[in-house]
Amino acid sequence: MIEVESLTKHRGAKTVLDRVSLRGAEGGVTALVGPSGGGKSTLLRCLNGLESFEAGTIDIAGHRLVAGPHGGLPLDHLRRDVGMVFQQFNLFPHLSVIDNVTLAPRAVLKLPAEEARSRAVGLLDRVGLASFAAARPGTLSGGQQQRVAIARALAMRPRVMLFDEPTSALDPSMTAEVLDVIVDLARAGQTMVVVTHDHSFAKRAATWVVELAAGRVVRQGTADELLHERRGSGGQEAAIA
Amino acid sequence: MSRFQPALVATAILAAATAARPGPAAELDAIRQRGELVWAADQEGGGPHVFPDPADGGRIIGFEVEFAELLAAELGVKPRFQQGQWDRLPLLLDQVADCVINGLELTPERQRDYRCSRPYFGYALQMVGRRGAPPAALADLAEPGPHGPWRIGVLTGSAAEIEMQARAARAAAAIEVIGYDGTLDSLEQVQAGVLDAAVLDDCIFAFYADRFAALRAVDRPFAGGLYTVLTSRRTPQLAAAVDEAIGRLIADGRLKRLYDRWELAGRQQMLMLRDTAEIPAARQRTLGELVRQTLPLLASSAGMTILLSCASFPLAIAIGLAVAIGRLHGPAWLRPPLTGYVEVLRGTPLMLQLYAIFFLLPKIGLALPALAAAILGLALNYSAYESEIYRAGLKAVPLGQFEAALSLGLTKWQALRHVLVPQAVRIVMPPVTSDFIALFKDTSVCSAITVIELTKRYSVLALSTGRIVELAVVTALLYLCMSWPLSLLSRWFESRLDRPTGAMP
Repeated sequence: MIEVESLTKHRGAKTVLDRVSLRGAEGGVTALVGPSGGGKSTLLRCLNGLESFEAGTIDIAGHRLVAGPHGGLPLDHLRRDVGMVFQQFNLFPHLSVIDNVTLAPRAVLKLPAEEARSRAVGLLDRVGLASFAAARPGTLSGGQQQRVAIARALAMRPRVMLFDEPTSALDPSMTAEVLDVIVDLARAGQTMVVVTHDHSFAKRAATWVVELAAGRVVRQGTADELLHERRGSGGQEAAIA
Repeated sequence: MSRFQPALVATAILAAATAARPGPAAELDAIRQRGELVWAADQEGGGPHVFPDPADGGRIIGFEVEFAELLAAELGVKPRFQQGQWDRLPLLLDQVADCVINGLELTPERQRDYRCSRPYFGYALQMVGRRGAPPAALADLAEPGPHGPWRIGVLTGSAAEIEMQARAARAAAAIEVIGYDGTLDSLEQVQAGVLDAAVLDDCIFAFYADRFAALRAVDRPFAGGLYTVLTSRRTPQLAAAVDEAIGRLIADGRLKRLYDRWELAGRQQMLMLRDTAEIPAARQRTLGELVRQTLPLLASSAGMTILLSCASFPLAIAIGLAVAIGRLHGPAWLRPPLTGYVEVLRGTPLMLQLYAIFFLLPKIGLALPALAAAILGLALNYSAYESEIYRAGLKAVPLGQFEAALSLGLTKWQALRHVLVPQAVRIVMPPVTSDFIALFKDTSVCSAITVIELTKRYSVLALSTGRIVELAVVTALLYLCMSWPLSLLSRWFESRLDRPTGAMP
């Protein structure tokens, strides 16, 4: 489903990704962990073509990205199959919650309005926000906004979902509601790649953990193999074993 | 950019203020003490009256230049030329000039409002058309031409305009009279096929006939009149001295010799000028009569102001938005020409652009009606400003919005259409609204290409009635009635934008 082979990316003189290779199985949850600036988010953004790269290949959801400015294909086709959720939500502030969710299915998939709407209502219900359909994103809490963003990405029925530190911009009190949604998705068999600092979450949901540092894969394995808690349980200060 | 309408109102207020005390127009003693007679004319009016010397553009020549020299010499002083726009020359009497010498026809209204000297020149009106094209005679104007009403160009504020307006009133369906700020403009437009004919003083066509080889005199000269030297009513001694001086110039043959040098038929002129009958002054109208007679005209011209603004601004926004998107997201080869488009249109005056569209395009076979040319000119000019505003607006939308749209599978153009542009439109609403108010006032520039909107109508009416201040108040009120709702609208937009609507932190 996901196969990254010797991915290398430079930013100026700096090598931000250095011959990164990894695999993600169909239905699996791959967690990208490691220190800030280690290349996790850049790798994730390469996976849906938001960033280009200089060497290597990416196979994802049946599409192949190669080195070069456009990755060798019309990126909008790839992105229909690879959804993304951002740290800062990036909801469209001029659209209501429901219109945020129906926009892409209508504009890209050309779904009839009714069908897009019922799909959106189902997804908002799934993230617990059906009653907020008519609200403006600006009136929602951060946790609610991130759940809308997840519903928005799911509305395209992507084969792979990418999460870029989905709870980092949230108050601790709101992270649980978002993580629960992601864990539910994982249990339902959604293939996904998650950049996270939250090792307890990684332990709970990830089928495969990849640790990146200074642009290189330091190690990879199952969550049990790689992660153990240093102080207590559920803390975000967990260390790599 | 909105200096035209305030400038005119300011002129009116200044005129009112100066009416209360001795104005700059000097009485005879002061002129002799100063040693200079300041005479006003418009060198754009052209030959043979007053025009730039083809051999030395900084010098003006013309039969009236020489006449002014003779007149000043008779008063024992030197002449000094003062430039002004032709249809507003009389206003200068209360500002900077002692007299106006520029083919001003002797009319009852001028007799009432100023001191008119004894005539110094006799003219007749001449219709001018294209060779081989109708109309073939003045009588043809009684019925519409082959393409509808005859389009006849005249100099705004001239006797030709008054005469042709009167004919148009008698045969309303057959004649459309179009006023120009320069004499040659109408001849250019006849030659370009925009007008069917022009009507102007016979001596002007005689002077320029060689330059406009494609044009011909239609029928005989008609409806003549006399030129007078205008002075202020507050300088009776100067007026008397001018009258006596003209009398001497006629009696001793100097004026005849001057006219002969300019091929202006000196002998016939002298026969006309020898015994000229008095023209009685017109009666002053009451304020009620004035408002009743001018308000319908002013109101309909206000309608033209609204039409110009409302037709051109949406166009300006559409073009401006397209240019902004092209510069930010278009292919690389498209960006330099679009930048050039913006810089040229922002860096040159609107007036010049209107002239180019109206007077130059017909030369390459693209003749636009004045209204269309005005709307196009305003739209193009403002599109440059709008494109800069929209460019800033598009750049103000956070990058994350664009990335979120792309990551949902939207193409770049879909992202622009559904996500970036709608947000940019909201961001730029206040500056765009204030630009609309600016454009609204800039419509007054369109009078330069014969479109009569509110400011031009005020100017024409103020000069023909002499009621500068009263009409300025009426006109200002009309402008306020139109711009006040716009200001309210813009404030409403701003208050709407103060409300937090964004999802961005």
